[in-house]
Amino acid sequence: MIELRNVSKIFGGAPAVSDLSLTIENGAFFVLAGPSGCGKSTVLRMINALIAPDRGDVFVRGENVQAYDPEKLRRGIGYVIQSAGLFPHWTAADNILAVPRLLKWSPAKCAARLDEIAALLRIDLALLDRYPRQLSGGQQQRIGIARALAADPDMILMDEPFAALDPVSRAALQDELRGIHARSAKTIVFVTHDMDEALRLATGMAVMRNGQLVQTGDPASILLTPADDFVHEFVGGENLQLRLLDLLPVRKLLKPGKTRAIGAIAADASLKTALNVMLARKCSVLGVEDALGAKLGEVTLDDIVARRDGG
Amino acid sequence: MRTRVGLMPKLFDRVLLTLSCFGFAGILLGGFLNFAPNRLARGVASAIWQAPLVDAAVAIAGLSGLALLSFAPGNKRRSIATILAAVLILWGTLAGAGHLAALLMQAGLPAARASLGPAFWILISVTLLAVVDAMQRSSFGYPARVCVGVVLCSGFIVMAVAGAFDHLSLTREFSNERGVFLTELLRHIGLVGAATVLSLIIGVPLTIFLLRKGDAKGFVFASLGIVQTIPSIALFGVLIAPMSKLSEALPFLRALGINGTGPAPAIIALTLYSMLPLVRGFYTGFSEVATEVKEAASAIGFGARKMFFEVELPLALPALISGLRVVTIQAIGLASVAALIGAGGLGTFIFQGIGQYALDLVLVGALPVILLALLANLIFDMLSALARKNL
Repeated sequence: MIELRNVSKIFGGAPAVSDLSLTIENGAFFVLAGPSGCGKSTVLRMINALIAPDRGDVFVRGENVQAYDPEKLRRGIGYVIQSAGLFPHWTAADNILAVPRLLKWSPAKCAARLDEIAALLRIDLALLDRYPRQLSGGQQQRIGIARALAADPDMILMDEPFAALDPVSRAALQDELRGIHARSAKTIVFVTHDMDEALRLATGMAVMRNGQLVQTGDPASILLTPADDFVHEFVGGENLQLRLLDLLPVRKLLKPGKTRAIGAIAADASLKTALNVMLARKCSVLGVEDALGAKLGEVTLDDIVARRDGG
Repeated sequence: MRTRVGLMPKLFDRVLLTLSCFGFAGILLGGFLNFAPNRLARGVASAIWQAPLVDAAVAIAGLSGLALLSFAPGNKRRSIATILAAVLILWGTLAGAGHLAALLMQAGLPAARASLGPAFWILISVTLLAVVDAMQRSSFGYPARVCVGVVLCSGFIVMAVAGAFDHLSLTREFSNERGVFLTELLRHIGLVGAATVLSLIIGVPLTIFLLRKGDAKGFVFASLGIVQTIPSIALFGVLIAPMSKLSEALPFLRALGINGTGPAPAIIALTLYSMLPLVRGFYTGFSEVATEVKEAASAIGFGARKMFFEVELPLALPALISGLRVVTIQAIGLASVAALIGAGGLGTFIFQGIGQYALDLVLVGALPVILLALLANLIFDMLSALARKNL
């Protein structure tokens, strides 16, 4: 568990974070969202003691971070930043093994872990001997995530890790990350200013402005009941309804029974995807099937629209 | 070698053609050797074709080769051919100069001098420029560069040992000074080495201080910049008075041989000159290590020591080496002036030569200074390539 109690930080006279309290449960995929300069990165850096708060306390695993040996604390928390921050003079493999080596793992254990992590993140083994400059942005960021996961920490901090990537690499890495989170009990704290990314990944999120928390909750509740105009504007603005559809699975509006619809869509797909398919096929009803392809029923345009109106 | 047959062959390399034109122009216009009955008398210029036919023919064949090669498309083969042509020019020119000097000196006047004239130096420059250009175009590696250097030097050494240059006044001046040459050369290197080490001892902590306290940067760089603008002779001179006062006041300094003149003030002056390029180079090197890399390192648990030795130092190393290169090469040149305040070194020959109007004696000092600088450049280039290999 990560807990911030009445934390404040002032940079050059301007408050970056003011009197902020926040609790992040174990196993959460917690997204800190907000416009640039709202203090979200500062909050992240206070968790692994890169920045010490001027007032208030930060607790990690129940212990005040000021009481930790900072190097030991940081070796136990994965960390990923926007440009990956890979060591340019080390190969991808050496970069990945940075923390295990700091922790003085045996070479055999390191080698085994390297194989494991490469498989987990689907890193082509040929890339491991390359230097960062020989890798694409997406590959570099994959290595960056691998480095954060290498020593198997129970917490990972990520500071806009995908902001500089092209949409395809970004989507692929988001899926990868969501899968890794789902399969492990890791706590991930993820900073972003991209609302679509926040909604796609978060199990819990907080919206920040001017160093303060404006709203905390699960993504759907923030979308449905924004605390004020700022949050409303930030989380959705004109796209709010479409984003809401993106969050809800087709399963929610499933009408069980036989269907005469020609196309079919997976029950786990989002309503936005369903709407997209309908628009593409110029139809107003789609069959719904489960992951194995068994017919479950149908979903109709009217229902989606009604849901939307109801939202 | 293939050239296109036709009315107008296609020109591929203007540099090479220009170089060979310079070579021919030098041969036609300038004196190759200058023969004078004594040091002060005006000499008579002789041309390269007055040298034994074989030597002149080899040099001219090499020059013609360069001209022809400029019409061949650039590739590794042409680069090798260019270097071979350049070797012909070099060897022909050297042998020609030696043999011609021997012919001229047959008259037997003991004070007569055969000095190298402009045409000789033009041919040597053409050779070196053609070689450097060819190596750069085909991006030769360091082993290949060293091999080429050895080939160029070997001809010179063989001829020198065989006594081909014995009648040149440059050689005579050198033989006169042979006894002290090595001493002065070592002293020169000693001055440069001592100044470089001393500037490292002061410069590294100063750099670390500046990196920690950024606000002192402007003041320190401005002060060092002022030192840099003082003419070298003035700085050497200015140090004499305080240094002699100091050694009068502190006998133990005098016992160490530290005085108003001699190596001590020279080393201090050279060190002062080294500070700005050294500290600026080191400061830039360390401050240009990407902040996100340093942040990532500390965020995943690198301590200060590990951060310095495993991240900052290797990433800054190429910049550190190039800073050191600037400092060393500058000191090699400036140390020549140190002879004026009795510090010795190769400058001794230069100033003696100027004083006696013996231009060949000037060369006895100046040529090794140039060679030392080139050698230092090559060594630092190799080190920097090594440091950059994985960046």
